Amino acid sequence: MPPAIRQIFPYLALVLLGVGVAWAMSFGTLPPADFTFANGDEVKTLDPGIATGSPEHRILDALFEGLLRLHPVEVPGGAEKNLYENVPLKLLPGVADLPEVTNDGQTYTFHFLPDRKWSNGRAVTAPDFVFSWQRLLHPENAGEYAYQLHYVVGGKKYNLEQLEIGDPVEVELYDRPVPSQMYPRGTMIRGKLAGIWKPEKPTFAKDTPAAEQESQLAQWKKSFVYTVQAETKDVGERKYAPLTGTFRYSKDPSAAVAGGFDDGQIVQCHHVLADFDKVVGIRALDDNTLQVELNSATPYFDQLTAFFSLYPVCRECVEKYGTPEWTRTGHLIGNGAYTLKKHRVRDRIRLEKSATYWNREHVPLEVVDALALKSDTTALNMYLTGQVDWIITVPNTVVQQLREDRTDFYTTPMLTTYFYRVNVNKPPLNDVRIRRALNAAINKALICDEVLKAGQIPARSYVPPGIAGYHSELTGDQDLEEARKLLAEAGYPNGKGMPKVEILFNTNEDHRVIAEVIQQQWRKLGINCELRNLEWGSFLDALSNQKYMVSRSAWTGDYADPNTFLDMFVTDGPNNQTGWSNAEYDRLIEAAKHVSAEERLKLLSQAERILMDELPILPIYFYVTKNMVNPRVKGFRSNIQDLHPLDLLSVEPPNAPTESTTAR
Amino acid sequence: MLPLLKFLFRRFMWMILTVWIVYTIAFFLSRAVEGDPFAGERAMSAEVKRYKMERYGYDKPLVSQYARSLWLMTTQLDLHESRKLNEIPVTQLIAEGFPVSASLGIFALVFALALGTVAGVISAVYRYSFLDFSFMTAATLGIAVPNFVLASIAIMLFVFWIPIFPAGGWGTLRQLVLPALCLGAPFAAYIARLTRTGMMEVLNQDYIRTAYAKGLGDRRVVLRHALRGAILPVVSYLGPATAGILTGSLVLERIFFIPGMGSHFIEAALQRDFPVALGMVMVYTMLLFVANAIVDLSYVVIDPRVRLE
Repeated sequence: MPPAIRQIFPYLALVLLGVGVAWAMSFGTLPPADFTFANGDEVKTLDPGIATGSPEHRILDALFEGLLRLHPVEVPGGAEKNLYENVPLKLLPGVADLPEVTNDGQTYTFHFLPDRKWSNGRAVTAPDFVFSWQRLLHPENAGEYAYQLHYVVGGKKYNLEQLEIGDPVEVELYDRPVPSQMYPRGTMIRGKLAGIWKPEKPTFAKDTPAAEQESQLAQWKKSFVYTVQAETKDVGERKYAPLTGTFRYSKDPSAAVAGGFDDGQIVQCHHVLADFDKVVGIRALDDNTLQVELNSATPYFDQLTAFFSLYPVCRECVEKYGTPEWTRTGHLIGNGAYTLKKHRVRDRIRLEKSATYWNREHVPLEVVDALALKSDTTALNMYLTGQVDWIITVPNTVVQQLREDRTDFYTTPMLTTYFYRVNVNKPPLNDVRIRRALNAAINKALICDEVLKAGQIPARSYVPPGIAGYHSELTGDQDLEEARKLLAEAGYPNGKGMPKVEILFNTNEDHRVIAEVIQQQWRKLGINCELRNLEWGSFLDALSNQKYMVSRSAWTGDYADPNTFLDMFVTDGPNNQTGWSNAEYDRLIEAAKHVSAEERLKLLSQAERILMDELPILPIYFYVTKNMVNPRVKGFRSNIQDLHPLDLLSVEPPNAPTESTTAR
Repeated sequence: MLPLLKFLFRRFMWMILTVWIVYTIAFFLSRAVEGDPFAGERAMSAEVKRYKMERYGYDKPLVSQYARSLWLMTTQLDLHESRKLNEIPVTQLIAEGFPVSASLGIFALVFALALGTVAGVISAVYRYSFLDFSFMTAATLGIAVPNFVLASIAIMLFVFWIPIFPAGGWGTLRQLVLPALCLGAPFAAYIARLTRTGMMEVLNQDYIRTAYAKGLGDRRVVLRHALRGAILPVVSYLGPATAGILTGSLVLERIFFIPGMGSHFIEAALQRDFPVALGMVMVYTMLLFVANAIVDLSYVVIDPRVRLE
């Protein structure tokens, strides 16, 4: 090492450090937004057909607009009535006017309103909705919320790839421009399904893991060969040219041949599905009229059209960029009040008022920032120091203090129930008397008042209160005497000889404290109770495989109707997960689909009676919202679904005299 | 020059090997975790799940998934896309998150070095004085207190009590100060102790006495002659310190709402976003290798006795 280098090294190191610091300081700063809110988490997607969570919900509501809009409406009475209490939610025209519904409640006709445009300036049309809803239902899209269109005639059949011989089918040939992209599609052949050839079904040893079985079965299904009597070939959007002949199609022709198929030439295809245009009841009568035909009267269908999964997506945008590229900044074309200006992962989404939105004159906020703030404490700090104008939740440790000291903290009932699932196949929990005893031993009021403290409501029913016209059926209140009696009747006086009960919850401090309280209360009956916590992914696994005894759960209604809560506990329902099955319950849920609106709620009420008697679930409490909103924000209205469309909000300039919020 | 190139080449080969081993272990470990990567609170139909598995190639045997991902990574620098974040390419996440974490790290490191060496030198020169005692008490505390506790105290003091810094966020210099201080503090403390010990030892050496005997002033002796010898332990500590600052920022990024690599890493691990977690692990591995190589190189420059072997 030459001494010269050694001499200058310290200076060189300093210079390098200086350069490093200078680079580190060269930030690009964004101009401040008019309104900033904590969005809870990073969005997982901005594709309405794929999204599921509430952070996504808040952003999609700004970027897109459905056929209808569900808005909280202002009621007279100021802050007292609009912030500290829930206001009603009202369906308003969105892209279309309020629908015409036939007397049987099964056909909805939507007439589109003028001046509804995409952010590229093109008018939003009925075929846009046919495209978007077909995309949502398409099995390859794998949208978890596709079931919201299972109410539509043929929707479930198309979505779950159910086929019968003789069905009209559509075949998509394996000639897409990009095989992994659903759009643009390959050549579409339409015809009648004449037969399905299946190779020998794989058999499994008893100890084969479920995942292994699933993947082998999936491979088996791919080698099916479908014989189709072709009738037409698509030559443009819903334009067909005649095509005759019988063809054999398979997703994996070589596997079919290897599996023993030797009955002629096989053409490779992407899909063989029910013919959407013929089978599914979603039709564009013209550019401005959409007709939807339902399996049975579904009184909440209009609410569903205001929910993000049924929002339209822009076809040319999806076809040009593909999924998920089309949802990136600069690509995304929406039809909502805002456009996507910037998206920095785990930092913020910046929204800017859309220049093409029909109601733009009544959208007060020009620029809105949604922060992907995951830590409740950091969000609260930033709210208290004025960096954020609205936070959607607060840490539990400060709830009581905020309720006492602050007038800008709003807690109102929500459409969410916290409950324990009980695995009814695990003795001794298979005995309904035990389940009733467990329920009667829980002091729910204590949990709400001493643990949660935000005004949560002790739950004696599964369906939360606040759904118009519905009367919830209740379980018994806390009653230790009754619990002891039931336990003795079941053969375990004072818990003697009863196998231990294990409460499973996902790792979270609140869940732990609640489980501990319940553990203590069950111990009072002499029941030996243990706690087990699992990290989220493993927890869900244990739940869906029913490897638990009692498990913490929660459910939020996507629409204000008891059905969203009750239909999950039908026999083998995918979200049942308790092993519980009751024929009368199944019958009531099914029967409710075919009666008048009033009668329907009565039947659902009867179903809930059964649920509350049988107790495969132990309701514990109903959630409340925990919003903190800067008093200079106007137009914020508490409501049961915690919906706060950004286009309703406005901000008073900081210098204007602010009207003091009324103290409670 | 040749020994230098040989040294760099050898280090580079070792890095490749290590990254490969780390990747392999991380790949198979991440898949060994029970639980399905697509699980959600609402049950998914078997059809939906099958299409999701196919889309990401999870339906293929594990070994072929491994081979394919290794191939893509080495030939096209393709680290796949996030499974949970709208299929954003992992390379993009790194490109966005790395500068943020790096800025934070550089500030923290500069702060730790500046404060640590100054405090250490003062402590050593005025040893057993009140100043020495208070610096070393603070240093002991600084090492013992985890940075997230420090962050809470700092937020209470400088965000709420004396409101001079914002509570969180990223984009301005003011937003950077608190997290950088909290991140750097334990390292400053450690560096102070190392400097003090080094200085104390060096100040007793013969050549220092010679320097004084030649009639040099205090300042010149301490800064020119003593510090150079005393700083060696600090330089060798910089390697682990870089590692500590990088991994330490995981928690602080969450507390101060900073969109750096740490946030991506934690979330990816918790949400089973395998490609992101793997990508981050590899970036961290490489950073540590590079940091250590630089430290070893600078060692040669500072201490004439050390040779590149």
